[in-house]
This record gives sequence, structure tokens and C-alpha cells, in this order.
Amino acid sequence: MLTVQRIAQKSAGRRLRQQALQLGSWRGLATASEPYDVVVIGGGPGGYVAAIKAAQLGLKTACVEKRGSLGGTCLNVGCIPSKAMLNNSHLYHQAQHDFKRRGIDVSGVSLNLETMLGAKDTAVAGLTKGIEFLFKQNKVDYIKGAASFTSPTSISVDLLDGGKTEVQTKNFVIATGSEVTPFPGGAIEIDEKQIVSSTGALELQKVPEKLVVIGGGIIGLEMGSVWSRLGSEVTVVEFLGGIGGAGIDEEVAKGFQRLLTKQGIKFKLNTKVLSAEKKDGKVFLKAEAAKGGKEETLEADVVLVAIGRRPYVQGLNLEAVGVELDNKGRIVIDDQFNTSVKNIKCIGDVTFGPMLAHKAEEEGIAAVEFLKSGHGHVNYNAIPSVVYTHPEVAWVGKTEQELKAAGVQYNIGKFNFSANSRAKTNMDADGFVKILAEKETDRIVGVHIIGPNAGEMISEGVLAVEYGASSEDIARTSHAHPTLSEAFKEAAMAAHSKPIHM
Amino acid sequence: MHPSVRVFSARVHQPLIKFVGKRAYPSGPAAPHAHPAAPAELKQKFSDFVRKFEASTSSPTTKPVKTADKDAFPEFWQAPERFWRPRTRTIEDFEIDAIESGGASLH
Repeated sequence: MLTVQRIAQKSAGRRLRQQALQLGSWRGLATASEPYDVVVIGGGPGGYVAAIKAAQLGLKTACVEKRGSLGGTCLNVGCIPSKAMLNNSHLYHQAQHDFKRRGIDVSGVSLNLETMLGAKDTAVAGLTKGIEFLFKQNKVDYIKGAASFTSPTSISVDLLDGGKTEVQTKNFVIATGSEVTPFPGGAIEIDEKQIVSSTGALELQKVPEKLVVIGGGIIGLEMGSVWSRLGSEVTVVEFLGGIGGAGIDEEVAKGFQRLLTKQGIKFKLNTKVLSAEKKDGKVFLKAEAAKGGKEETLEADVVLVAIGRRPYVQGLNLEAVGVELDNKGRIVIDDQFNTSVKNIKCIGDVTFGPMLAHKAEEEGIAAVEFLKSGHGHVNYNAIPSVVYTHPEVAWVGKTEQELKAAGVQYNIGKFNFSANSRAKTNMDADGFVKILAEKETDRIVGVHIIGPNAGEMISEGVLAVEYGASSEDIARTSHAHPTLSEAFKEAAMAAHSKPIHM
Repeated sequence: MHPSVRVFSARVHQPLIKFVGKRAYPSGPAAPHAHPAAPAELKQKFSDFVRKFEASTSSPTTKPVKTADKDAFPEFWQAPERFWRPRTRTIEDFEIDAIESGGASLH
């Protein structure tokens, strides 16, 4: 009789679970009978990729995410929505300023910002749902809630639907990402309306007449480009003497600034912002020369604070388990992504290295491969960077400045897009490809591109760096004609010999 | 019928790029090193990190396991699998329905 009762209860439980699945409240939790092999905390590009890969490797996996949608900063309020705005604002700008010289007469072109923002939101929603689908396909349990460590093998999760649950696992991967760095000293407070971060800059409900961007890095330049194309008068204030952020080649940075200036963006380099005051619907920024000097006031309708991002570990209760942080708040790891606590690995923005989605993805895969087999692979010399302005800027490997500092002898191969047939026919021929190859071996150690489609073309440079190709290897490889990629081949020819078309 | 003009070249180009092929790893796990992107001061003190890591425990730090009995396990999954995943036959839905309906569902 007892047996029958138990079976009946089991059956009822199973039915309830089936009903829950049908109702869409899909939630996978560790059962008392079996812990997870891996629980990934954070469902951004690093976290969700790690979770899917872990499941593909046969590990029982869950991913905990508190945002309510997967994809992290990148997909929800970063790379993806900004690309939607960059692409559509570029088309608008072309229709207004570029079509005529191509023989396309258009009239009545006007901006419907609401629709443009809607298109961005549609792209984001589709892609986040896509990851949920991938989770289901790969049997990754998706737990919607905020995780907090209770031990190195368990977390307590405050569920978004309400309530709490305990999740047990053999291993954790922390992939909680990063957040916008607030202005130092609290001198400027972000309200996401008039003084915005990158998140608010993607949600402005009207085109600001004057936009001041604090920070001339990738995010500042991309968002500055968007609103400049849509009609804002944009001024970029940068503390350093060049734009483009860390890792950009100086020659590229100078060319980049020249081209953006031609597009109407103003730059104030070597300038320090001191404070901001909101008055009569405007924001008044006080700034001075970085090395000290005369103070000036900049007036803006909207100010974008884009001075960087910082690791995000809020609420994780890392102290309880003893996970070590460095003085920048990053989780300290070794080259196998181990934190200072066994069974807890960490990847992505919250630890060392550049804060890039594709870097986090590589680490996510490598971290779970280490868990499974004790081996994984990430080549930090071959992580590309891309600025999705127009023209795009992309690079991989070392800059000339880094090679000089390291005392490496190198050859430079450079080819201008103005000598590339496809770029000329596209009437889009600003920029160049620059290849740096070690003098002694001809091995490619750096590739720097500014020009049309640089973000796609850099993949060839990444492959070259990853596989240790020489510039001659690339130069002797056939590239289709007429394509922009021929500029890459010609730059390789220039590095080891001479280009044909220049 | 030469597939390439390599034979006519002034010299034969030896590609620097190497075909890596299917990755083969040693059977044992790789030894950990400092993370390549870690700051220099942390790289220098990597042995401290290793010490902390080795000293860390996978059991809850908030609730330390006191027992050192060889048959006691801090986590149930560390015990032999037969204790927490018994090899019992899974009962099918139709069998459960049969039991619940007193056998009526089989007819």
C-alpha cells in the first residue's frame, strides 16, 4: 500500500512538472537526488556560452541570471542594440547626405526615432529568446534569479518570481560581467535621462541638440556617431591625448579622429571633466586641461558618461567563500580560470583581460573544457577589437608602440583603401590596412585596419596571428577580386615585398 | 600540368603557418600558471595564489565539516553512486496509470 502511495505521489509530481512546463514557467532546479556538474552564474556572452558548451560536453548544467533575459550587457544594453542603432543611423545619414552623389534623388527623408528604437528592441528581444531556445535544446536549466554563495558548492538564489531556492553543484563558473563605471568622486550622477550611461544613450526619446560625450573610447565614439548622424552636435571630451581607447595603434587613432572630425564630431583631448550642473533643462559641464589650466563650461542637452566599466560582483557574497579580488575589484584567477577557491572558476569582464564579449566567450568554452578534460585554450594575443563607427576600426595583436617598447624589429605593410577597386567603386575608400610583421621571421604580430568592413576583415588577421602566419603566407593566398579583402592581401605583400596596386 | 607556378619562383616559399590538426592533449591535466592578463604584481606572487587555492576547500566554509571519518562524505554526491542513484527500474507512465486505476487503464 505504501508503495502504491509513493508511486501515486510521484505521478502527481510528474504531472505538476508537465503542467508547469506547459504554462511556460520553465525552471530547472537541482533536485535532492543529484547536484549539477556546473552552475554558471551570469547569462551574458561568457556565461551562456560556457553553459551551452558544458552541456554539450555532457555536464549537467544550470545557468543563473538575474536580469530576466539572457545575453547580458552585450545583448540587452550593449553591443547588439548599439549595432542596430549604428546601422540604421548610418542608413539615415546616407539617405540624407550620400545618396545624391550616387545618383539617387530622394526627398522627404525624415527620422522616425520611435520606430528606429523599436527596431533595436525587436532585434534584442529576438536574440535573447534565441538563447533561451538554445538552452532548451542543449538541456541547460535556466534559473531566473540572483545568486549568492553559501558555500563553494552551493548558492542561494532569490528567484525573480518570488521565493528562494538552494542550488548545489560540483563546480561554479562566475560570469557576472561588468557595470558602468560611475564618474569618479560622485561629481556627476547618472540619471539615464539627461546624464546617461551607454544604457540610457540607447533609449533617448528625442535627438539632443547638443550631446557631450565624456570618454573617447569605443562606447563613446560609437554612441557619439549614432546621435551625430541623427542630427546632434556632438563633442567628445577625452582625458588622454588620443581616441579609440586601449590597444589602438597611434597612427590609426590619428586617422580615425581626422575622419570623425570630417563627419562633424568635435574633440577636446587632454581635457578633464570636473563636474556637471543641471539647470533650465540643460547640463553645464565644467572642464579644464588635463594637466591643469583654464576652466571652461560646456553646455549640453544630454551628457553621455562613457569612461569605462568595472567588474560586477554585487550580491554574490564572495566573502563567504573566500574568493580573492584584486585592487580593481576583479576576481583573481590563474590561466585555468580557477579562482582562489577550488571548484569556483571565473571568466569574462569580472576578471582580467579586455572587457569584450568574444573574449568572454572564448574563456567560457576554455573554462568548461578545463573542467571536463584539464585542458583549454585561449590565445590572448589573438583577441580582436572593433569600433563599429563608419569607417570601422579593427585591430589584433601588437601596435607599433608596443613593438618598439619591447625592442622587436618589424616590417610595416600598409595599403590604402583609396587604391582598392571595390572600395573605389563603393565610393567608400577612407582608411587603410596596416600589417606589422616580425623582421626576422616575417611572422605577423599585429594587424590594424581602419576602413569599410574592417570588423569583418580583421578575422583574417586573427587567423594569421593564431596560426603564426607570415605576411608572405597571406600575400601568396588568393583573395577574390574585386573585394575589400584584397587590401589585406596587398598590405601583406607590402610587408614582405611590394604591393601591386600602389 | 603543374598545379602552381611554385617551380618557376626564384625561391620556394615555405609557409610559416602550420597545420595544427586535431588537438591532442596529454592525458593528465595541465599545471596552472599565472593568468597572462594578470597584473605583474599578482604574477610575481602566483605562489601565494596557489597556496590559497590549495588550502581552500570544496566544503562549505560557513559550515565546516568536522568529521574525518573515512566513511563520511561532506557532500552526498561524493559518496559512491549506488547510495544516491540506485539502479532501480524506472516505472513507466502506463504502469503508474494502471496502478492508479486499479488496472482499468490497461483495458
